[in-house]
Amino acid sequence: MSQPLPAVSATTAAAVSPSTKSRRRTRLQLSTRWAPYVLLGPFLVLFVVFGLYPLLFSLYLAFQSWEPTSGLHAMQFVGFDNFAFALQDEWFWKSLSNTGWLALASGVPQHLVAIPVACFIHARIKRFRNLLVGAYFVPYITSTVAIAILFTSLFSTDYGLINSGLRAIWNGEPIDWLNKPGTIKPTIALLVFWRYVGFNVVLYLAALQTIPADLYEAATIDGAKAWQQFRYITLPSLRPAILFGVTLSVIGGLQLFEEPFILTNGKGGSDQAGMTTAFYLFRMAFDFNDFGAASAMSWLLFAVVAVLTWATHKALGRRT
Amino acid sequence: MAHTAVATLSNRTSQRLNAWTAYVAVGIGALVMLTPFYFLFVFATQSRQELFSLPPPLFFGNDLAANVHILTERIPFLRNLGWSVYVALASTALTLLFCSMGGTAFALYEFRFKKQLFAVVMGTMLLPSFMTIIPNFMVMDALGWIDQPRALYVPGAAGAFGIFLMRQSVIAAIPRELIEAARMDGCGEFAIYWRIVLPLLKPALGTLGLATFIASWNNFIGPLVVMRSPDMYTLPLALRTLQSPVDTEWGALMAGTAIATLPLLVLFALASRQLIAGLTAGAVKS
Amino acid sequence: MQDGRPAGPDGQPVGPNRRACLAGAAGLAASWALPGSAAWAASEARQHLTIAAYPAVDKVIKAALPAFQALHPNVEVQVISREFADHHTAMTTALTTASNLPNLMTLEVDYLGRFARGIGLEDLTQPPYNALQYRDRFVQYAFDQATDKTGAVLAIPTDIGAGTLLYRADLMAKAGVTEADLTSSWESYVAAGLRVRAATGAYLLPNARDIKDIVIRTGIQPGEGLFYDKQSKALINTHRFHRAFELSLKVRQNKLDAQVRPWSSDWAEGFRRGAISTQMVGAWMAGHLNNWLAPTTRGLWRSAQLPEGAYAASGGTFYAIPRRSAPEMKPVAWEFIRMMTLSREQQLGAFKALDAFPALLETYDDPFFEQPIEFLGGQPGRLLWREAARRIKAVQVHKQDHFASEVVNTELDKVLDQGKSIEQALADAQRLIQSRALR
Repeated sequence: MSQPLPAVSATTAAAVSPSTKSRRRTRLQLSTRWAPYVLLGPFLVLFVVFGLYPLLFSLYLAFQSWEPTSGLHAMQFVGFDNFAFALQDEWFWKSLSNTGWLALASGVPQHLVAIPVACFIHARIKRFRNLLVGAYFVPYITSTVAIAILFTSLFSTDYGLINSGLRAIWNGEPIDWLNKPGTIKPTIALLVFWRYVGFNVVLYLAALQTIPADLYEAATIDGAKAWQQFRYITLPSLRPAILFGVTLSVIGGLQLFEEPFILTNGKGGSDQAGMTTAFYLFRMAFDFNDFGAASAMSWLLFAVVAVLTWATHKALGRRT
Repeated sequence: MAHTAVATLSNRTSQRLNAWTAYVAVGIGALVMLTPFYFLFVFATQSRQELFSLPPPLFFGNDLAANVHILTERIPFLRNLGWSVYVALASTALTLLFCSMGGTAFALYEFRFKKQLFAVVMGTMLLPSFMTIIPNFMVMDALGWIDQPRALYVPGAAGAFGIFLMRQSVIAAIPRELIEAARMDGCGEFAIYWRIVLPLLKPALGTLGLATFIASWNNFIGPLVVMRSPDMYTLPLALRTLQSPVDTEWGALMAGTAIATLPLLVLFALASRQLIAGLTAGAVKS
Repeated sequence: MQDGRPAGPDGQPVGPNRRACLAGAAGLAASWALPGSAAWAASEARQHLTIAAYPAVDKVIKAALPAFQALHPNVEVQVISREFADHHTAMTTALTTASNLPNLMTLEVDYLGRFARGIGLEDLTQPPYNALQYRDRFVQYAFDQATDKTGAVLAIPTDIGAGTLLYRADLMAKAGVTEADLTSSWESYVAAGLRVRAATGAYLLPNARDIKDIVIRTGIQPGEGLFYDKQSKALINTHRFHRAFELSLKVRQNKLDAQVRPWSSDWAEGFRRGAISTQMVGAWMAGHLNNWLAPTTRGLWRSAQLPEGAYAASGGTFYAIPRRSAPEMKPVAWEFIRMMTLSREQQLGAFKALDAFPALLETYDDPFFEQPIEFLGGQPGRLLWREAARRIKAVQVHKQDHFASEVVNTELDKVLDQGKSIEQALADAQRLIQSRALR
């Protein structure tokens, strides 16, 4: 794919086909001038109503104090009070630290595992490639609720499969995966890792296929070893894919909501160890009825996401 | 001479060993990915008592029928399944239509504020979804759409991902000459879109359609916030309500989860190559 | 031949004007998108009453419908039943946006606090309700639970949950523990637990948290809430919290609790297998245990008052009218409330059929209370619970009670599991709870 096609402007179209100028167009046909607006129209309407407006409203709400069951007109302007509250709220900071931990613990292994697996499949596996890649990818397409329900059962303290397996090997106390703060986080991280590692395998595999083979041949002739080739050819070529994948992991990790929500049954777990920021602000709104603070927190989190995404770009983007 | 031969031999052996270790590791990885699904289907066929016995069951049981019976008793399962199908299909149709139209507009035409608009739309891809949960709920309520399926399939039709994919695909797949030739023949712009662009977009449409269907089928937060009556729930939410009452029917819950997962697995088996290729095209080539 | 379109007699193409088309399409889209204005018209003949409820009170309501229809033949009643938590979320939502409001809703006592600070529920002390005239007919604390700081009554109680101590008589006998040992004081309760554990291996109670839950409800001063006082000052640094935490710690240190979460499978199995010997719960638990939780243990349990003369409430259902629901249906809704809560037949009927303990005092002389309960080995447990109901004191509710409860539980967990000092834990809880007091 080379450069994008030059777009057709209204005047160009007229210039190219002079005969159209004098031709009468039937009323129902779209003229070139109106075409973009009509084509874009439905999308734009939906976008403004369901994308832009809620966004702006959430910004507005962040500056209000609002007891929801008293109705919409009960909002009171409170300036930065919600933000101030959020910034001194212990639970908010706890949720941020939970989110950070989970994003790292689930995100980093995804890429550390996906890259070697992709390289291996690319280099060595021809016959069953689709099957193998498919197997890795399947967790990604299934519903979070389904997976979390399944994992809740598998990790149940007294009756879960994991503990039964462990009992066969090791004769200690059964581990209380979902109830103790120390183990909730790794369980959630494991779930997220399991879910997304396949997507990254696919991503890197596709990227690997665009690296020209003669680069490797030339390197082999020059006497470069396997890991040297990996370090000096593969990794740099993978850079755009890594940037894309890591960006998605950063954004996704910071937004974690569904997995912790289901695994802790909507409560956040002991010591709120499983409560990510997205989860917390959902609770702020729907459990603690504080919509103003919830909106303020969501904007604070957005700031964090934006900064980290920018930082990712700086670290991994093209150095031109 | 001898020891070089030995060295080469052991080199080859160690290489083979390395290769075999890698094969095994990757293979085990694949198994780990799939094992939970195996247990999902095994659990779906076990009764609640068996699921809570020690040791837990490892092979298929014969309680599937009983589980399904409980399932349809406790929640309006078939209705929920129906809603999931309906919403997913409607979502896919609308998304394909609106995003292909919008993508065509961005790709083939110039108009004022085009660059800025596209930047804003792309910017929302960066924004976390939770930011708009609450205001979205209020918009839905203002429109009177609470508890109605249209609250689920209409908003998603304006997804940034869809429009991005469509725009890329139009740019890549539609030759400019074709468009111009059509114009010279007197084709109206909408006809150009409908009769020329769309057919050529089929692969991308396939990918977007699949991705949208899957996302809609699995959507949990949307219905959680917007749906109120159990009669109107889609599957993920319906299954959750099986989980929260005081008395969780685990066997039925597993059966329901398995049934909810099955269509996607089938869809995926049929279309995996398409989906994977389409989804990563944008990442690699941008 | 122009663009393939047929031309009319004047040479112009046939077909609707494009602008008209768009206008029509836009109009159609708009009318489909916006809520229909053609709502059903309330005819004089038939009125429509919507009641939002959750299991099991929805069964009680449905059972009462024939009686209500007989009194009000022109009222069509619709009962919308949702799962417990979803129902309350839906009610919050409906109250927030004043749309999809039912004419009448049931509420669990825990959620009353959340609505207490708002103005979403109708004040039933006002005419035409004048609920204060009925105050003395209800169990004192239940009626007061629904009264907010300004004296407005926001809901009417229909059933209550008196806290009680359920214990396994067989396990106690085996350990040589008497009921007096269990109930004379908290210390003797814990001491009895040690003996039971040694003799039978059974735990004293499901979770150390339970002891905390009861003890913090003792010694509440009038006007105080559980976590906040009338001025929204946090009350964590009081003696009852200290004692509660100490007792819980003692239970955990001596391994007397099963560390299970209520309503989890492990918890249920604990009862079925006789691994848990006592529990402090609402009296309604006896019904659950009997019906599906642990029916094989029928006859082995007994009921006693809570240790050290403690009386606590656990659960309770109320009826409320949303302030912004349809005004013409409010009197009808009020009639329904009166029927369900003030009628002896209805209250006793729900009691006998569905175990809903009445909030109406005049039912308390019914012989049903003296009947032996098979699950309790023939003990007439309802007499105990009736006694307890009379003695429970009302506790003021606060909007942040839900949050405060979680904070206290978190701090308790840290004391029990991570060896945090009780003073530090209570101080942290106090600080956190205070910071939210006025939101």
